[in-house]
Amino acid sequence: MRRIVITGQGAICALGHNAADVWRAMTEGRSGIGPIRRVDANQLRNNAAIAAEIADFEPRAFIDEARLPFLDPLSQYALVAANEAIRQSGLSFRNERASRTAVVVGVGVAGEETREGLYQKLYAEQCGRFHPLGIVRIMSNAPPSQISMAHGITGPTFTVASACASSNHAIAQAALMMRAGMIDAAIVGGAEACITLGLLRAWEAMRVLAPDTCRPFSINRRGLVLGEGAAMFVLETLESAQARGAAILGELAGFGMSADAGDIAAPSEIGAAAAMTAALQDAGMQPSEIDYINAHGTGTAANDCTETRAIHKVFGEHARRLAISSTKPMHGHALGAGGALELIATLGALRTGIVPPTLNYLGPDPACDLDYVPHEARAMSVRAALSNSFAFGGLNAVVAVRQAP
Amino acid sequence: MSTQQEVFEIISKQAKIDISTITAESTLKDLGVASLDAIEVIFDIEEHFNINLPNEDTDFEAGTVGHLVAAVDRQLAQKPAKG
Repeated sequence: MRRIVITGQGAICALGHNAADVWRAMTEGRSGIGPIRRVDANQLRNNAAIAAEIADFEPRAFIDEARLPFLDPLSQYALVAANEAIRQSGLSFRNERASRTAVVVGVGVAGEETREGLYQKLYAEQCGRFHPLGIVRIMSNAPPSQISMAHGITGPTFTVASACASSNHAIAQAALMMRAGMIDAAIVGGAEACITLGLLRAWEAMRVLAPDTCRPFSINRRGLVLGEGAAMFVLETLESAQARGAAILGELAGFGMSADAGDIAAPSEIGAAAAMTAALQDAGMQPSEIDYINAHGTGTAANDCTETRAIHKVFGEHARRLAISSTKPMHGHALGAGGALELIATLGALRTGIVPPTLNYLGPDPACDLDYVPHEARAMSVRAALSNSFAFGGLNAVVAVRQAP
Repeated sequence: MSTQQEVFEIISKQAKIDISTITAESTLKDLGVASLDAIEVIFDIEEHFNINLPNEDTDFEAGTVGHLVAAVDRQLAQKPAKG
């Protein structure tokens, strides 16, 4: 089987506008959560509403001005991250490589800012004239399309949508095409721009948004905090990376996917455990080879204790030796971009031997009894790691990575 | 009709359970109303009384129907009288 490695990464989220800044903030335990600026908080139930919003972003500094009218923030974020990842990899897509490269992006919703702007005009202002670029900005496949256009990539290009597991499912789809020999490289990741009034109200109505902050695995945790952004990676075969002398950030060792086939919203330890077990099997690894898990860790009452039970189930006694953290108190829950942003954290832990912490931890919940690396980053060797994503709809996708060969 | 009776009726209708099985001491969880069904019950109560119930008053695991009724009464008391 072809071994797949990661030779480029890019990111933008509330922690910074490039992967290096995002990773530095993660090691420093900085939080990007703050009062919502983009939406009038008086229109929300909790008028002290919070989110992890991207700040001081000037798209013109990153993206060709002529392209911008076509881009919802969703695609802007995706392009910023993809451009960075491709630049780092040193790959170019001329000749045959263009058609032998895929672009697969996880997106949970779509171009919501554009959609809500148009609906505001239609329903509230009763305005009959729609902007002609609405569709191309809103469509959930806009991010991979824009990446393929910007870089001349002509291979399989599409969006994968599985809510909060979209990124990890996207990474798996591209890697499967690589293993099958259909393509030799891929741009993969996730993007989301979901801090809009309509979506915030819909999340509020589900009663899962925290009024204070995001406290995964902690006593008195009160829910999740939305975030936004994108992270992208360049996947290529180990052979190709070695032949080019490219710097390898880590090996994409395997992945596991499952469906709970149960409740549409409530998580299941059986489904979550099945995806983790499948990822380990796919990677040919024993549970004892894993040193770190970047948890889904949303900070909701239900997720964190269910995820803890699932980790016990898969890892047995080794569960207590694992370092587990949720980086969502830093970058927020970025839905379809979540798994990709968390892969920045997971690869960072592999590369640098620093495990990012779980912030805002107030103390142990008896139902969450593992080592969640509270408050401060920890220096430790990480040979291999899992990154968990569990979505509404009962869809689970777990990625396994290990140190560069 | 008392607030309690109205809340019981909403729970009974939404959760499709016999109203005689509901008591002030039951939790929604006891009544088999879990996850999104419980959120829907709360939503129906909010719509019916035209109030907003804060998350603190909607603990489906430990909070009883009696607590829920008291929370509804608190919100109704805060509503400005219709003129």
